[in-house]
Amino acid sequence: MSQDKQVVSPLPGIFYRKPDPDAEPYVKEGDPVKAGDVIGLVEVMKNYQEIQVEEDGTIASFAVGNEEVIEAGQVIVVLK
Amino acid sequence: MIKVVKPGLETTVQDEGRIGYYNIGMPPAGAVDQFAYAVGNMLVGNEAGAASLEMTYMGPELQFQQDGVITLTGGYIPPKINGVEVPMWKAISVSSGDVLSFGIVKHGARSYLAVAGGISVPPLMGSRSTYTLCGIGGYDGRPLKAGDVLTIGRMRARAVKAGTKVPDKWIPSITKPHEIRIVMGLCSYRLTDESKALFLQTEWTVTPEANRVGYRLKGERLGFVPRDQPFGAGSNPSNVVDLGYPIGSIQIPDGVEPIALLNDAVTGGGYATIATIISPDLSRFAQVKTGEKVRFVSISYEEARQVRIDFKQRLTQINEHLEGAM
Amino acid sequence: MAEFSTRYSFGGDEFIFAELSEEMNLEVNFRGIAITRKLKEKAFPGILDICPSNASYLVRFNPEEIDAHELLAELKQLEREVANLDEIEIRSRLVDVPVLFQDPWTHEAVMRFRDRHQDPESTDLEYAAQINGFTSEEEFIQAMTDTPFIVSMIGFVPGLPFCFQIARQEEQIEVPKYVRPRTFTPERTFGFGGAFSVIYPVQGAGGYQMFGIAATPVFDREQRLPDFRDSMVFPRQGDIFRYRSVTREEYDAVRKRVEAGTFEYRKQEIAFTPYDVLRDPEKFSEMALGRLYSD
Repeated sequence: MSQDKQVVSPLPGIFYRKPDPDAEPYVKEGDPVKAGDVIGLVEVMKNYQEIQVEEDGTIASFAVGNEEVIEAGQVIVVLK
Repeated sequence: MIKVVKPGLETTVQDEGRIGYYNIGMPPAGAVDQFAYAVGNMLVGNEAGAASLEMTYMGPELQFQQDGVITLTGGYIPPKINGVEVPMWKAISVSSGDVLSFGIVKHGARSYLAVAGGISVPPLMGSRSTYTLCGIGGYDGRPLKAGDVLTIGRMRARAVKAGTKVPDKWIPSITKPHEIRIVMGLCSYRLTDESKALFLQTEWTVTPEANRVGYRLKGERLGFVPRDQPFGAGSNPSNVVDLGYPIGSIQIPDGVEPIALLNDAVTGGGYATIATIISPDLSRFAQVKTGEKVRFVSISYEEARQVRIDFKQRLTQINEHLEGAM
Repeated sequence: MAEFSTRYSFGGDEFIFAELSEEMNLEVNFRGIAITRKLKEKAFPGILDICPSNASYLVRFNPEEIDAHELLAELKQLEREVANLDEIEIRSRLVDVPVLFQDPWTHEAVMRFRDRHQDPESTDLEYAAQINGFTSEEEFIQAMTDTPFIVSMIGFVPGLPFCFQIARQEEQIEVPKYVRPRTFTPERTFGFGGAFSVIYPVQGAGGYQMFGIAATPVFDREQRLPDFRDSMVFPRQGDIFRYRSVTREEYDAVRKRVEAGTFEYRKQEIAFTPYDVLRDPEKFSEMALGRLYSD
């Protein structure tokens, strides 16, 4: 368990799991991801910042929900 | 020269601002945290008014292409040189090839990078500040992009010793919830007495719609004194005949979600303004992040004047201290 | 005019706001022009900005250089000095501003933001014509173009002119602003909100009703056009704008000249007193249009 890696938000804002409201989520629990893959967007100051994973792994869980307000440094996703 | 490897979220060239053009609708722009900006220039020995970089939430990655002296002030976005964390509020030597990058913002919202000599961009109407809404000033009128190359200017007033730092007692501390001082007035007569009281009691949350133009805040709904709307004002009770908005003024469109204006303010419009953030506290307000809470504290003009005197005095003391340390 | 005594207020530590009237009218706008002009002439040290607006004005000052209470006393004194508005002469320009009404660009924006409008079933122009008692859009356009407007304030963003029609109040057009502001307004949109027409200098947010698009800019960042040689911003408070309805052909022709950098506004210098306007707005408007198109 201590091997779990996390993806944290570099900035505060609103977290989105989808590129737009009608689209499919970028990733789901259980999906394998590679470094550089986008897992969501954070909106702040009318900017949409892509959140990428830094290491290869599998999405174990989302720590925040779609359209939830998050803080800088908050964990978004746990990888295994 | 400084090469922009990654631009960060919104990194712009800013200085003291473009003063004297408010009447044509041109806001001053300039560093929103004037305290951190001014101290940055002092630390690297620049003339007051030299341009710096303002970085919001996510810092850029910059590569120095010449030796120099820099400092980072303002909100704590942990700075690193070649991957190693370096302290803020301290003059640092950099060598050609060094890379400045940043960790995840810890507290505050904006950091300032001052470079000995200042960032050299053409001044426009007396300022190098970027005003992105009209695409003027700064670097091409826009936030930095990857691949941009910044030139270092010659606005150096004195040589500084690397390692010179600002004593802790002068570094602003951040208390939560943020208490921001205001002077009530302007069109505050439009609010009911209950709503005036509620405005001051409420802990307002900063929404994601918070940029250099203004911060939109969430909290309680406020009510206006009923009236037949005067000719020309528009039909909503929050509407007034379009008037000038001071920097720092707070308006409440339709009684929901107050907007507090910052340096890139819209200079006027048709919503009743009810209070103005005092200028020393604008520097503190600019460090409040989306999602954080703010309480407004009403003070008199005389008290505001005293806070301003103290603020200016603190800057003078820091400058004298740093001059002595050179 | 209803009795009203000016409300003075401090805006933080650097601003004084003076609200001359809660309602808009030509007389109060002239009063603001007169006071702020006198203040400018006094050239006090420490005054950073003097911003006259429609029925109020704003002064930004440096409290280290000028005492706020002394400045406030000075402003009250200036207000007394201009009480009868007799002494001031306004020197400004009469300007012909070609507007394409019901154009495709603002129409697209009108349709995009129907859910933020009072009347989602009609266009902005249909709605505004109807609530102002006009039987057709053409009649409504004619009412906006037959009589010139005075630039009563500049602001919001650089160069945006708030324009107030030189007419008796009962003949003036008044419309509400959008229920919720739009996130998009095309550059050069001719808009209307409250009793004011505007031209949006740059693309951006906005809450005014959208009726058309001006062929000509009010803001020129590059200062390419001759009218912008001295400033990025064309309008000045006190200017008199005549919005002239043009065809698509004329619009396109003007746009070509603007893009080539050769366009110059048709304009005439004018000097007048507030009294000239207030005594008989119709006659003044007629005279102004006569002069503008005389040569």
